[in-house]
Amino acid sequence: MTDLTAHPPRGRRYAEITGEITRVPLDFPQRRNWWILFSFSLLLLLVFIVSAGVLFTFGVGVWGNNIPVNWGIAISNYVFFLGIGHAGTLISAMLLVLNENWRNSLNRFAEAMTLVAVTCAGLYPILHLGRPWLFYWMALYPNTMTIQPQFRSPLTWDFFAVLTYLTVSLLFWYIGILPDLAASRDRARKRRWQVFYGLISLGWRGSAFHWARWRTCYAITAVIAVPLVVSVHSEISLLFAAGPIPGWTSTVFPPYFVLGAAFSGFAVVSMIAVVLRHAFGLYAFVTDRHLDLLAKMLLTTGLMTAYGYCIEVFDALYSGEKQDIATMFDRLTGGVAWSYWSAVICNFVPLQLLWLARVRRNPWLLFLISLSATIGMWFERYMLLVSSLYRDYLVSSWDSYFPSFWEWSLFAGMLGVFLTPFLLFVRFLPMMSAFEIKEAVFEQEQEGEEPRHA
Amino acid sequence: MREPTAKNPLFGLMAEFDDGERLMEAARSARDAGFRRMDAYTPFPIEGLAELVGFRDNRLPWIFLAGGIGGAAIGFFMQAGISLAYPLDVGGRPTVAVPAFMLITFELLVLGAVSAGIFGMLLLNHLPRLHHPVFGAPNFALASSNKFFLVILGNDQKFDPKKTRAFLERLKPVAVGEIARAEEPE
Amino acid sequence: MSLRDGHNGAVGARIGESLRGKSGRTFWRSLDELAGTEDFRRFLEAEFPSIAPDAGSVNRRALLKIMGASLAMAGLAGCGGETDEEALPYVVAPENVIPGNPKWYATSVTFGGYAQPVLGKTHTGRPVKLEGNPDHPAAKGATDAFTQAALIGLYDPDRTKAPLHLGRATTWSTFDAAIREQAEKLDGTKGQGLRLLTGAVSSPTLQRQIGDLLRRWPNARWHAFEPAQETTRRDASRQVFGEPLDWHLRLDKAAVIVALDDDLLGPGPRQVHHGRMWSERRQAFHNGKAACTLLVAEPTPSLTGTMATERLVVPHARIAILLAAFAQALGLQSGVQAPLDEAAKAFAEHALERCRRNPGAALISVGAQHAAELQALALLVNERLGALGNTLGFTDPVIAEPPDGSASLEALVSDMSRGQVGTLLILDCNPAYTAPVDLDFADVIERVPLRLHAGLHHDETAALCHWHLPLQHDLEAWTDARAVDGTVGIIQPLVRPFYDVRSKHVLLENIAGRFDATDRDLVQATWRTAWGQDFDARWRDTLYRGFIPDSVLPEKAPTFNTNPITLPQPPKADGLTVLFRPDPTIWDGRFANNAWLQELPKPIGKIVWGNAVFIAPALAGKLEVENGNEVRVSQDGAAVTGPVWIVPGQEPDTIVLTLGYGRRISGEDIGGGLLHELGYDATPLRRAAGPWALAGAEIAVTGNHQDIASTQYHSAMDGYDFVRTVSAPDEQAAEKKKQPSFYPNRKWDSPSWGMSVDVDLCIGCNACVVACMAENNIPVVGKELVAMGREMHWLRIDRYHEGDPADPAMYFQPVPCMHCEQAPCEMGCPVNATTHSPDGLNQQIYNRCIGTRTCSSFCPYKVRHFNWFDYTADDPPETQAARNPDVTVRQRGVMEKCTYCVQRIREAQISAQKDGRILVDGDVRTACQQACPTQAISFGDVIDPESAVSRRKASPRDYTLLEEVNTRPRTTYLARITESVPGKAKS
Repeated sequence: MTDLTAHPPRGRRYAEITGEITRVPLDFPQRRNWWILFSFSLLLLLVFIVSAGVLFTFGVGVWGNNIPVNWGIAISNYVFFLGIGHAGTLISAMLLVLNENWRNSLNRFAEAMTLVAVTCAGLYPILHLGRPWLFYWMALYPNTMTIQPQFRSPLTWDFFAVLTYLTVSLLFWYIGILPDLAASRDRARKRRWQVFYGLISLGWRGSAFHWARWRTCYAITAVIAVPLVVSVHSEISLLFAAGPIPGWTSTVFPPYFVLGAAFSGFAVVSMIAVVLRHAFGLYAFVTDRHLDLLAKMLLTTGLMTAYGYCIEVFDALYSGEKQDIATMFDRLTGGVAWSYWSAVICNFVPLQLLWLARVRRNPWLLFLISLSATIGMWFERYMLLVSSLYRDYLVSSWDSYFPSFWEWSLFAGMLGVFLTPFLLFVRFLPMMSAFEIKEAVFEQEQEGEEPRHA
Repeated sequence: MREPTAKNPLFGLMAEFDDGERLMEAARSARDAGFRRMDAYTPFPIEGLAELVGFRDNRLPWIFLAGGIGGAAIGFFMQAGISLAYPLDVGGRPTVAVPAFMLITFELLVLGAVSAGIFGMLLLNHLPRLHHPVFGAPNFALASSNKFFLVILGNDQKFDPKKTRAFLERLKPVAVGEIARAEEPE
Repeated sequence: MSLRDGHNGAVGARIGESLRGKSGRTFWRSLDELAGTEDFRRFLEAEFPSIAPDAGSVNRRALLKIMGASLAMAGLAGCGGETDEEALPYVVAPENVIPGNPKWYATSVTFGGYAQPVLGKTHTGRPVKLEGNPDHPAAKGATDAFTQAALIGLYDPDRTKAPLHLGRATTWSTFDAAIREQAEKLDGTKGQGLRLLTGAVSSPTLQRQIGDLLRRWPNARWHAFEPAQETTRRDASRQVFGEPLDWHLRLDKAAVIVALDDDLLGPGPRQVHHGRMWSERRQAFHNGKAACTLLVAEPTPSLTGTMATERLVVPHARIAILLAAFAQALGLQSGVQAPLDEAAKAFAEHALERCRRNPGAALISVGAQHAAELQALALLVNERLGALGNTLGFTDPVIAEPPDGSASLEALVSDMSRGQVGTLLILDCNPAYTAPVDLDFADVIERVPLRLHAGLHHDETAALCHWHLPLQHDLEAWTDARAVDGTVGIIQPLVRPFYDVRSKHVLLENIAGRFDATDRDLVQATWRTAWGQDFDARWRDTLYRGFIPDSVLPEKAPTFNTNPITLPQPPKADGLTVLFRPDPTIWDGRFANNAWLQELPKPIGKIVWGNAVFIAPALAGKLEVENGNEVRVSQDGAAVTGPVWIVPGQEPDTIVLTLGYGRRISGEDIGGGLLHELGYDATPLRRAAGPWALAGAEIAVTGNHQDIASTQYHSAMDGYDFVRTVSAPDEQAAEKKKQPSFYPNRKWDSPSWGMSVDVDLCIGCNACVVACMAENNIPVVGKELVAMGREMHWLRIDRYHEGDPADPAMYFQPVPCMHCEQAPCEMGCPVNATTHSPDGLNQQIYNRCIGTRTCSSFCPYKVRHFNWFDYTADDPPETQAARNPDVTVRQRGVMEKCTYCVQRIREAQISAQKDGRILVDGDVRTACQQACPTQAISFGDVIDPESAVSRRKASPRDYTLLEEVNTRPRTTYLARITESVPGKAKS
């Protein structure tokens, strides 16, 4: 793939940028591999349906939960998926606010990833209910009992938070993709593509008036979205921190969770970026510089998360609460210490390689490090949840927790729920923001710089 | 900005450029020439272009604000109202637990602001509108790729098919073309 | 009750059942495979051990059948249950039965031959709850776990429903014909070769009938066998007083009790009586009115040892030496001279010193499982202490003495082996399983030409008999029996028999060839002769009361024939000593089919659904085994194999085996064949010579592992103050200060409910737990689910250890819902399914609960329990009939927990309102409080300063569990009083 930036006149460059990006859905380069991957994810989706079927038929007892460990993988995965769901909006909104143009190559698929991740997260709390068919009682609706949700409950907060987050992310993503849908419409040759894009692009024609309003709208939404991201995961952390359970009830939790979320999110985005750029040869858009910047973000958020770990320990010791200290030591040495140390190692040991520029610019090393961080964050969520529940105040109620086959199968199935829509996005929609890249090029030229793609 | 209706002989004249800056200059000189009803079509937003073609609209931020305030108000008073309408002793917490209610209030603030703003934007832009006269123009498909268009609308006071075309030619466009009027009035 | 286990049960299988016939789409079919085919399930279990419990194991399948999943009301309908005679007050014509208005009947259930007085609560003719009879002099309204659980014994669908001949169902008429001609033969021979074997008999009517029978047939003979009985004490009194007497330990009069391996407060017929007496004394001690010291020397922890002021861990064999030392100190010769080690010497000194300080208020008792000589010496020692007539009284035996006394069964067996027995009627006992192994009962019985067994179940003995004759359960029978103190209780039916069964009185008549009398006639006959003219009045009165007032046997002041006692020389302690104990929840196996008792945690071990080989931590260390590792306990040839359970505070060279498990019941007879899969059978090591102890045993690790289900895996208190201790009744347990809070300080108006639990009175007997299950329709979930930590008991009794595992301090702490004023659970619930009631209850609204389980996650006490599966939907009709209609039966996926028996609160309030009076303290008694033998639980209005509970909470010993969490619980505790014992440091 030639570097588009080297080619005057500009007009052709713009055309090629648009072409490169809209080409992917229109004449799809990776049909075979895509089908292999897609049928695999459909298989996982099937596993999900079966696991959910078994769950609904026989009750949540088919899982390994018990008293005291009322919550298991279901809830830790809920936090995990929501966590990775935070990167998209963060990258997109925060970097837009900071006017970091390099985001343009990443934000589109990062946001798409956010959408599917949040969907997965949203499914878990419903699946884990004792009576899932009554999940809508969490919502506000007129009923003969004249009784409504209980607004002091962290679960109710989560319900509203996740709902808001999903809606806002969806709208933000959609107006972001709108102009490129129009571009695809204009590139499309086949009738059915034209109709498809024609409809979903709402007849966008790039009028200066439209652009002006669009700009304002996009910017303001971005500004609002950043605190939203923070608030959402802070609320998720309150699902634990609000309970008087040793190891949970700590003011450290909200920032601790948000940072962890950003960390795992950036890890997943880096993985996707590496794969997509390799699969569709988008080296011109996801340049080594992008990887480098992603890696730096990963390193930064990773170190912040590490700081969270330290503060957590300090917090327990500083509190002087016998129970909190006991729980803390149990995390380090007790029954689930394996998950604690897996988290520490997977999260922070490979991460240190990112101090080296060479590693940062090496896609596959970055991929592996991100993978390890993702796994590490999963372990952390699991550890935080189980370690506090299986040994709480009264030693008499201590017990252990072993996830059952059906919990693991549901987890596997949930990956299908994650992959399937994302693959469809890659297949049918422009996965990068062509117009914003062009805009960046244009502005840099106006400032007379040597143009780069971001 | 009102668009030409079926009464106008033409929808407008369209000049095609292959460079954003040249379009800016063209728009500027058109403005200096006293044209007021214009529009420009670009593959990406260009700073200041809208103002040149006569964009004077700052309602959108207020829509956001209104949506936000509305959402927050609904959020808080919904919670307080419901708790008061069916007061229950929940763990000894106060019936109207302001700190606890703040979270949902904030969420609904964001939800209100963003949805109001985004749907407001589409509304003000008269979108969705699947068909539009400019789509008929030659090469307009490239407006989303790498071409830049300036349109002087048929309902501009100074609009005159001949003179205006001549004027546009002088701006050294790639091409100038007519846009047939809209079939049926909007 | 435990049917529901099927759900979780064969999830795999049920997938199959429920999905077969659904659309044939591939994944359903594969699901079918998943469920159906055995090897696929094996594969899964191999791959994922975690699904093994869910993948339908044999146990579960069988467990379905315990309490008779298989059997439906068909069994009840299709049987000629007797028509109802005019029982009192059961005569009410059906139209007077008001649904929702329970009727109460005073009656009793028998346990080990003794009457356990109860008030039976029936709804529209269905017995639904048994409560203690407050007027009864012995129990004073309390019950034990066995009595509470007797209710579902009545509903047990595995009871035999019709007579069996040679294992095949037959009719009573066939039996009648056969027995009539048999009776004629016996008339000829004056009953030559006829033997009657019963359990312990205290029933006057049965005694009268046996008497008549023997008078009519002099050559017949009566034998009695009760596996756990105090025969040694009776022999001792024969030795010392020249006549067999019952001992009555007056714990309420004793300032000092020295229990030498005697579990006074432990499970057994006397538990309620003893517990009640001891707690009265203990409460007097709390009020500073009396001294109350309990010194216990024992080889393995017992409930008594747990409550002991001072506890000495001593091997079984050295009990004799310890007693000898006492005797010697009091100037008595015992022929035993052995040195005491330091600890024992100290213990003996403390004990003696205390006894001397309390002349006439001291009592020394030796466990009834010890030899008669020890008992005799104990009598002499007590005499020296001035206990006789004060803390120790005597009456004629409450349990009738069979001709051969304590050797009754041995006599029968030797006669049988010599072929002298022609006809054997076994009445309600199961020697084939419970008799010591060296009697070879199962073999010699084969030499009896005609063998009849009458009992509730087709058990091991029934399987060896030609005839198996189903008996009535006490709750559907007319009979009578004496309570432990001798008070006669007339037992009237709460309901007439479901099944085609007969009363044991009627059967005894049948043996004699008479067929006209009904059980009621027979019981009345006894008392008509006893009361003569005023029979009718007294009969009515007795039925209303449930017992005959002042019918205790007359106190005896026996005279000593003071010939010196010589104790048997204690065996040289080589190898390990095996001790045998009746199981604390299923006794000698008679309650094996009672799901409530099976799932009831053993008070000390906290294990359920099975027994284990209980060993000391030291021995476990030596063997390098941990809980669940299988060991083989053997002594010359005979061996028992079972999983190890480590018991802190047990003597290192002692192994404890419990009876009642490893049943040899054939196939599906009872509990769907489950019973012989649960636990081991200790019988192979039991010898008639010493049925309760076996010296010189060896233990070997087999290397296998057996799963043990327990409800509490950690018991070391780890320096926390869950159970607080004070050294004197008036010592402050916690400084009283209202904790700060962000939340408004709510004003509570009266009544506002609260509970106080005195851990200084709780003997951990479990009566409250079973009472709670019965009152609140709490489901039984089965061994696997308990092992997963899914037991449903709303009220649990935590057992804690403190200090050196070799000899720790031990505590019991009942934990119901705390009903916190600032409850985290309520804050956590997103749908308002748990909120606070105006009268201070933490409510759980089942039909609003969606099962997020946040409440339980946030609960610091983990007292909430979750319906992981649908535990109740397809219960058998029997189980449903036993349910309390005042309490919701919970559905799948909802949380449940202790409600402070809200149904009782409302019932009391409503009836008070109907009577136009105000609710007074004591009108509301929770099920646990009602059952408690020691009055450890007090409940009432915490706003009224005069209420019993408020007065208890005002005590300096009052403290809050987990006060630091600041949940403001309504349930608080009174600290345990531990007098500091010299030379015994507590960590």
